[in-house]
Amino acid sequence: MKQRSITTEFAKGIVRDNPVFVQVLGMCPTLAVTTSVINGVGMGLATTFVLVFSALFASVLKGIVPNQVRIPVYAVVIATFVTIADLVLKAYFPPLSASLGPYVPLIVVNCIIMGRVEAFATRNRPGVSIIDALGMGAGFTLSLMVLGAIREILGSGSLFGIGLLGAGFTPLVVMILPPGAFLTLGILMAIFNALKAKSDPVLIRT
Amino acid sequence: MKQMVIVLTGVMVFSGLALAAAYAGLSERIEENRIAALNASLAAIFDVDPGAENGTTFDKIDGSDPLMYRGQDVDGTILGYAVRLQAQGYGGAISMLVGIDADAQRIIGISFVEQVETPGLGGRITEEVFRSQFRGLDADRAIELVRNVPPDPDRNEVQAITGATITSIAIVGRINERLDAALRLIEGQ
Repeated sequence: MKQRSITTEFAKGIVRDNPVFVQVLGMCPTLAVTTSVINGVGMGLATTFVLVFSALFASVLKGIVPNQVRIPVYAVVIATFVTIADLVLKAYFPPLSASLGPYVPLIVVNCIIMGRVEAFATRNRPGVSIIDALGMGAGFTLSLMVLGAIREILGSGSLFGIGLLGAGFTPLVVMILPPGAFLTLGILMAIFNALKAKSDPVLIRT
Repeated sequence: MKQMVIVLTGVMVFSGLALAAAYAGLSERIEENRIAALNASLAAIFDVDPGAENGTTFDKIDGSDPLMYRGQDVDGTILGYAVRLQAQGYGGAISMLVGIDADAQRIIGISFVEQVETPGLGGRITEEVFRSQFRGLDADRAIELVRNVPPDPDRNEVQAITGATITSIAIVGRINERLDAALRLIEGQ
């Protein structure tokens, strides 16, 4: 395998292979929880935690897991770390845990995790798999924060729960409802792809 | 085949141990958080500072249906009762407390322990504007829900939240359904 630098492996998760805007993975939490920035940060970090440990285990175990039981083994590993993340949130961040609700346990079925485990961690060494997972986690967290910020400012007139736009502003309630999630995501995805195409025209063809 | 069994067993054992350890380490704190959330809701009903050293106690009345808590101040004077009710909202179960004064005459407040209503719409039930409407309403007659007009407290009215009619109906409906049973229990005390 061609040797690539740590920075490239990390940065690809944020721009070139951004899980939300480019790979279009993990749409369920992306659309559902981004009603506020803090929800986006919480969901992003919880997912990053699960990504890193699942990638580490998948990479370490890749030589000894028989192919027939590959998926069950990874499913159990992922579910274990998701449950731990859920318990930690409940114990140390109860308000965040309450507002993320069932979406924390649902990280189990987030396709970013199984996707990176199958596509990357099972083919690479543990170190580089962790870097890949961290990059994907950072890309996911940043994407959710941007979505959350836009929806919170327009839909609630606040950022991080602090009122921004004053009493004269009538919140656009649609922005914190599901349609607002689709609208914001669609527009951001268009902007992201336009910028990417401009900086690297070759990518359009692939 | 043999390797398959060994690997699966190994992974399951590891997973079981990791979860047991995490649960053992965190369950106590999770339970404390749950109790703290309930106490904060109870304190809001009786209008006392949560966790303040003012001697106010909330005792669960054993075996009551609906579940009730008795609020007493430091001298043992009964401040009132909080009735725990569950309503089926728009986004899921709403767990709420309805405060009733010691004479079982009036509602003294309402607060929400757990709710997953849409933020900005049904989620606004937790705001003071909505909750304060219940304060002072008669406990022994049904609460009426009005839309888009200011509520008249003399007619036991509460104004629904715009865009959250289902949530508002669920809450008021559940209170109307269950409050009589609670009042009878208080009178029997």
